[in-house]
Amino acid sequence: MKKIPSAIFFLGLLQATNLTAQSRVVKDTLQSNGDSVVVTATRTERKLNNLTVPVTIINAKTIQQNGALRLTDILKEQTGLNLTSGFGAGIQLQGLNPDYTIILINGEPLVGRTAGVLDLNRIALGNIKKIEIVKGPSSSLYGSEAMAGVINIITDATMGAPLTIGLRYGTYNTLDANIETKLQSKNFQYQGFVNSYNTDGYSIRPNSNSRVTTPVGRYSTTQQIKWDLSNKTNFLLNARFTNEKIQNEIAVANNGVTIYSIGKENIKDVNASSSLNHRFNSTLKTSLRLYTTTYDAVQNLLTINGLPYRDVLNHNFKRIENQTDWDLNKKLQVIFGAGAVWEGVKSSRYDSEKVRKQNDIQYAFTQWEWKPSEKLTLIGGVRFDQNTQFASAYSPKLSMLYKWHPQHQFRLSIGQGFKAPDFRQLFLDFTNAAAGSYSVFGSAQAQQVIAKLETLGQIGNLFPNYYLLKALKPEYSNGMHFTWDWKINPSSALSVQLFRNDIKNLIESQQVGTYISGAQIYSYLNIGRAFTTGFEVEGQHKFSSNFTLSGGYQYLITGDKDQVAEIKSGTVYTKNSQGYSRLMKLNEYVGLPNTSKHKLQAKINYNSPKGYYLNVRAIYRSKWAVNNNNGNEVFDNGDVFASGYVAINSAAGKSFKNGLSIQCGVDNISNYIDATNLPNLPGRTFYTSIKYEFLQ
Amino acid sequence: MKKNLTKIGLFLSLGLALVACRKDEETIAVPLSAITVSNLAADTVTGLGVDGRPQSAGTTTYYSLVDNKVIASTDAASTKWDVAFSSTKILVNSGTSGPGLGGAFVFKGLFDDLKTIPTDSSFSTDNANAASYAIPLGSGKAWYTYDGLTTLVSPIAGRVLVIRTATGNYAKIEILNYYKGGITLPATASVNDKLFKQRYYTFRYIYQANGSKTF
Repeated sequence: MKKIPSAIFFLGLLQATNLTAQSRVVKDTLQSNGDSVVVTATRTERKLNNLTVPVTIINAKTIQQNGALRLTDILKEQTGLNLTSGFGAGIQLQGLNPDYTIILINGEPLVGRTAGVLDLNRIALGNIKKIEIVKGPSSSLYGSEAMAGVINIITDATMGAPLTIGLRYGTYNTLDANIETKLQSKNFQYQGFVNSYNTDGYSIRPNSNSRVTTPVGRYSTTQQIKWDLSNKTNFLLNARFTNEKIQNEIAVANNGVTIYSIGKENIKDVNASSSLNHRFNSTLKTSLRLYTTTYDAVQNLLTINGLPYRDVLNHNFKRIENQTDWDLNKKLQVIFGAGAVWEGVKSSRYDSEKVRKQNDIQYAFTQWEWKPSEKLTLIGGVRFDQNTQFASAYSPKLSMLYKWHPQHQFRLSIGQGFKAPDFRQLFLDFTNAAAGSYSVFGSAQAQQVIAKLETLGQIGNLFPNYYLLKALKPEYSNGMHFTWDWKINPSSALSVQLFRNDIKNLIESQQVGTYISGAQIYSYLNIGRAFTTGFEVEGQHKFSSNFTLSGGYQYLITGDKDQVAEIKSGTVYTKNSQGYSRLMKLNEYVGLPNTSKHKLQAKINYNSPKGYYLNVRAIYRSKWAVNNNNGNEVFDNGDVFASGYVAINSAAGKSFKNGLSIQCGVDNISNYIDATNLPNLPGRTFYTSIKYEFLQ
Repeated sequence: MKKNLTKIGLFLSLGLALVACRKDEETIAVPLSAITVSNLAADTVTGLGVDGRPQSAGTTTYYSLVDNKVIASTDAASTKWDVAFSSTKILVNSGTSGPGLGGAFVFKGLFDDLKTIPTDSSFSTDNANAASYAIPLGSGKAWYTYDGLTTLVSPIAGRVLVIRTATGNYAKIEILNYYKGGITLPATASVNDKLFKQRYYTFRYIYQANGSKTF
């Protein structure tokens, strides 16, 4: 008799877990993807189908099934995006350098760039709901840095299993562990996430003990609280902390001599944001956001046969912002926003590491969304940024969506983006004692510093452009994106995008004079002009309910406009194999370094109803120019290229109904290695992981 | 028919050319052709210093463009040589470098296109005391660039060194290569190759013996 209730109880539990397990299954039809809600493109919640600008969404399921641990892992498999190396792993979007893409977490910017690059390995992907990528200038909403586009990482705020534990182990002793907690009461929600990542790093240089990727220990945590004060008001609190320790035995080759040294780096990254959101009525809502972040990096180099070297960078950023959304009527929706930023950097590369260099920004923006008919949506927006340290910037943007046919829609967007001069370009005060004692002075104080050196009799001569040094202007880009989406049938879709970005005022370092000794003095000026243009094609096809094939291709042309003009005027030469000079032709020009003409990726995905999955992903990137060696300053066919390559990754796993899921995977199956040009690509690596959700 | 016409035309023009040649035989000299000098060692590296810089004996290789041969360093203080090489430094027989009438400037353009030295050109001389040379020292200044990442020296395309020789005649030089055998080293070359195969000049030049500025 006693057995029956327990059996019923057991059945009930089974039922319950079944239900939970089922409710976790996300519909994965092509249709449902268009219904995904995007916040980054308009700073309001909009369905992907109704957006006027091109957006890519990477959802949690894709991240998890691809076995992606760090942000870099998933971004490198996206159309139009390439990883860059040097100063950490950055992302190149439609041919534009990492400096020009703003990285947001829940809409708030990350800081702490080294030479313009934000190391995306800093970001663990454990508790992420989705990643939204907006292509095209978006400064009209986000201000500086949103010149090529925006990558917004949205943390998981949905409620699920109260406790999830994940563990992964792989090649090079890479151990990743995380714990996720979710708690909920009537008007209170809490999510906590802790991640620890440790790796021995790897050495892919033959016959060398110097490691390309160094032993790294990263610890990061995210804590989120949502508190519903009433059914119209809520309060969100989000805190994130990352601590990264790197130990590296560095071998520096200088003119053939190798100097060994031990480097220790400690990077701390703290962000905290809070927002108070209130809905007055069905047509009016407002939110007040406070954000503060600090990035603190300390590097200590203990050279075996030399002096200790210390490099410090401390960047803080505080912001207050209000955004009000007002639906004037069914056809017209307006956003108003304004805010203030206090930003400062302390660095040992400035005149004094104790003095914080400060820049304050005040800004305001507005966006008007007009829907004259069911088929047409027009959005216009503009933002104004006023800075204390450099010229202010206007960023207008116009975009439209035309739903011509149930199967065809067109998007067109034209906008201006900008990137403010960074602190390094303004305040750098760096003299390299090792390599000829050259100096680089930030433009904000170059004239002052050089004038002082001149009174001391240190200056040999000053070039004409020294007198042109003045307040730097932001770098500007004008971007145009045209997209055609074609839903061929319920199981196939194709999207074609044409893009063009024209950049002016590029800030580049240039020699402005010499010391008495002949050593060079550099500063920064607005000199360059460049362009990137091309097209992207993305498509997917569902063969059956289990099998999906998806892929993307980008064709990219880039160039320095001044170099193109010089080549056309017949003043650029190149050398043939015997060393004889000859005139260079325009068709030999390959454009900007580190950009590839072709990038292709394809993915086959299998998902069984029983929870099994398998995916195989291939990425191809064509050759890119890395070094100028044939006697001119432009990149042409005769220069040094990194070879094109293919990397194939695969992962397989199963999710059980009791909350357990297992996965194993192999990255870079063909073991492609290029230690010089692809230090972020280790050889073949294996991993296996286990995750358990303690279901309610 | 057309073929025949072409033949006749060819015949006629050949005849005219022959007549023209005969007429100017006495005034036009034999066309000058470029001479290529290969593998000229210029203070080659002997090892590596403690400061991480290549070490060498500090020698200078003196060269006569007139006689197309190396001149012994014992004749450094003579007008027997026209140009001299020591690692990336190129000297002309002038000022602090030698007693000659030498001088030089860097012409931007192609070797073959420099048919006559422009009349407004000004030749500089060497002054070691002020670290000022007719062919300026340093990466990107005259004939080469140095890439700190690959540690390689590459001659700049479209640079001609216009030389006034020790005796006051004119010559033009194009530096073709800085590495042994005239073979450009790849960026991935070994440290040893980069160290020991550098400082071997390959260059081509034309020397005009008649004192004119036309090549």
